[in-house]
Amino acid sequence: MTIVKSTNITGQTAKIIADKVNVHYGDNHALKDICLDINSNEVTALIGPSGCGKSTFLRCLNRMNDIIESCRVEGSITLDGQNINSKKIDVVELRARVGMVFQKPNPFPKSIYDNIAYGPRIHGLSSNKEELDHIVHSSLKKAGLWNEVHDRLESSGTSLSGGQQQRLCIARTIAIEPEVILMDEPCSALDPIATAIIEELIEELKNRYAIVIVTHSMQQAARISQKTAFFHLGKLLEQGDTKSIFTNPTHEKTKDYITGRYG
Amino acid sequence: MTDIQIKQVDWKSQSQQKQLKARYTKERNFKIVAIFCLSLALAALIVVLGSILTTGISGFKETRINLNIHMDKAIIGDITGLTETEYQQHLISININKILITALQKKFPDVKSRRDVFNLLKLFSIGSQGDIREILLTKPELIGQDYEISLLASSNVDMLIKGKISRDIEQANRKISDQQIAWLDQFIAEDKIKTGFNWTFFKNGDSREPELAGIKSATVGSLITLFVTFIISFPIGVGTAIYLEEFAPKNIYTDIIEININNLAAVPSIIFGILGLAIFIGFFNLPRSAPLVGGLTLALMTLPTIIITARAAIKAVPPSIKEAAIALGASHMQMVFHHVLPLSMPGILTGSIIGMAQALGETAPLLMIGMVAFIVDTPQSIVDASTVLPVQVYLWADSPERGFLEKTSAAIMVLLLFLIIMNGLAIWMRQKFEKKW
Repeated sequence: MTIVKSTNITGQTAKIIADKVNVHYGDNHALKDICLDINSNEVTALIGPSGCGKSTFLRCLNRMNDIIESCRVEGSITLDGQNINSKKIDVVELRARVGMVFQKPNPFPKSIYDNIAYGPRIHGLSSNKEELDHIVHSSLKKAGLWNEVHDRLESSGTSLSGGQQQRLCIARTIAIEPEVILMDEPCSALDPIATAIIEELIEELKNRYAIVIVTHSMQQAARISQKTAFFHLGKLLEQGDTKSIFTNPTHEKTKDYITGRYG
Repeated sequence: MTDIQIKQVDWKSQSQQKQLKARYTKERNFKIVAIFCLSLALAALIVVLGSILTTGISGFKETRINLNIHMDKAIIGDITGLTETEYQQHLISININKILITALQKKFPDVKSRRDVFNLLKLFSIGSQGDIREILLTKPELIGQDYEISLLASSNVDMLIKGKISRDIEQANRKISDQQIAWLDQFIAEDKIKTGFNWTFFKNGDSREPELAGIKSATVGSLITLFVTFIISFPIGVGTAIYLEEFAPKNIYTDIIEININNLAAVPSIIFGILGLAIFIGFFNLPRSAPLVGGLTLALMTLPTIIITARAAIKAVPPSIKEAAIALGASHMQMVFHHVLPLSMPGILTGSIIGMAQALGETAPLLMIGMVAFIVDTPQSIVDASTVLPVQVYLWADSPERGFLEKTSAAIMVLLLFLIIMNGLAIWMRQKFEKKW
């Protein structure tokens, strides 16, 4: 196993380092030579027009592309120096360490309790009922859902509102204590109030996890992220601190996109 | 901007009005044709059900004749000191017919000749001996006394009472003579003829005598056969569906398998009968006429139905649920068995029940493996000779006796009832267990 060390400007080792990542769907070359560092305790926003490869890149980070048969991933992606595409890494362990929240809230059609307890159960994180209860309760608290659902943990997860469902999905993800959370447009199906709640939550989660978020909302990216990466037609055109990208984009396309003239 | 002039629609213009009218006419015509076709189908259904109902409903009634019988001690003999089993054995050996004839001669003193006695006796079912024996068995204290006992009438009497044999037609053309009708009228005058619910139909197996024939052995045979079918086809069918849908690579071989499964669902059922005959009886030497072989053969026939419906149900599970499980670190196997299978189970069960209902009504493949035999005894195990309900219907429909006509329809009604129950169960399960997301 080769340990790749890479440090960024602040001298901190990046959590995830993507180096020359290429993705093909059959004949379609979806991602071209993507190099991107993702740091702990930061929110990295991936922006860009539809079909530019943001989601594809996100799905590479916990190998969700494995389930798409025609998909082929090249290049190296390391998590704490370990190549996640290597045969040595166990994909189950990887996905436990790199959790994911999807665009459409997708709770299991089970009770709220079972939704959250599912991950800890399959990974054997608790040895008895009290421990499991504790995990479920603290996950709900961390996701800010506890006050709304503490008296109806046995009701179905699908009976919640859209925003609550999405927070349930976030609670489900953090119940297995991941190191990185990937979010694929987590607010696109939600109303502004639910979106604000989720954004607050992301702000808080940032202190414990590395967060990568795909978003179509420029305001959202500007509000919550520290780093931004702009994708265009499968290429990573620009990356850097969110502030500098939004105030002083170097690339013409980036400028057009964030000002709303393009995309 | 462009040279093409887009015509402004004038909704008031004559041509526009005409076109609009034509559109409505088309819609109305389509509705008329559809309603006509539906009513035609409905009428056909009513005719079928109506004819079965009108012929079959009388099959659930039987005619009994009350007769005062002297339980003659001289014929029955001495039973003191006999144990219960010995008493049972003894009853089989005695001449019950003689008791009946004595009773009849007492009632009709002018009947003397052998021939007349024989004709008089023919008013009663041969099963009436069993009735007398039953009474003697349960009430041995009646020996030496007179007792009015209700005896099963023969099928011809039954038909006459139900009006299925007309008194008006010539004697030579009916199964019951004028003399017999005269005797019967005497019973009627004394109000000795009763009709009641036909328990015999549910308690007995098949018989050569219509009044004694019942569906018990066929029903039990059907249940055992269906049990074997389910045990074999459900696990294999669902397993195949899961493998093909979730695990199998998509290549030319799985494509060929898929096409073959779809084609198998359309193969005439008698072909499966020939296959069952060749494999299970010819090659494996399993017993003929047994529910085991019947069940295996029907399982072959039901498998494609179960596989196709199960695959459709599995496919209907939203990919978002699968992704959620995978993203939490569930293995492929865990994803399938924790999420996909439970969510698709209502659909799978519905499909399986429909497949079972199809198997329940199947006759042709069972003819090939010898389940068409005349079987009186109720099967006790999966290797006993047996018949099933639809085959019983087929056998009775083939019988020349007038009495079997209503039995056939009655058996069809029982079969339809089973089918309705199974389909109702399928609908109920679908509504009860279907999850929304």
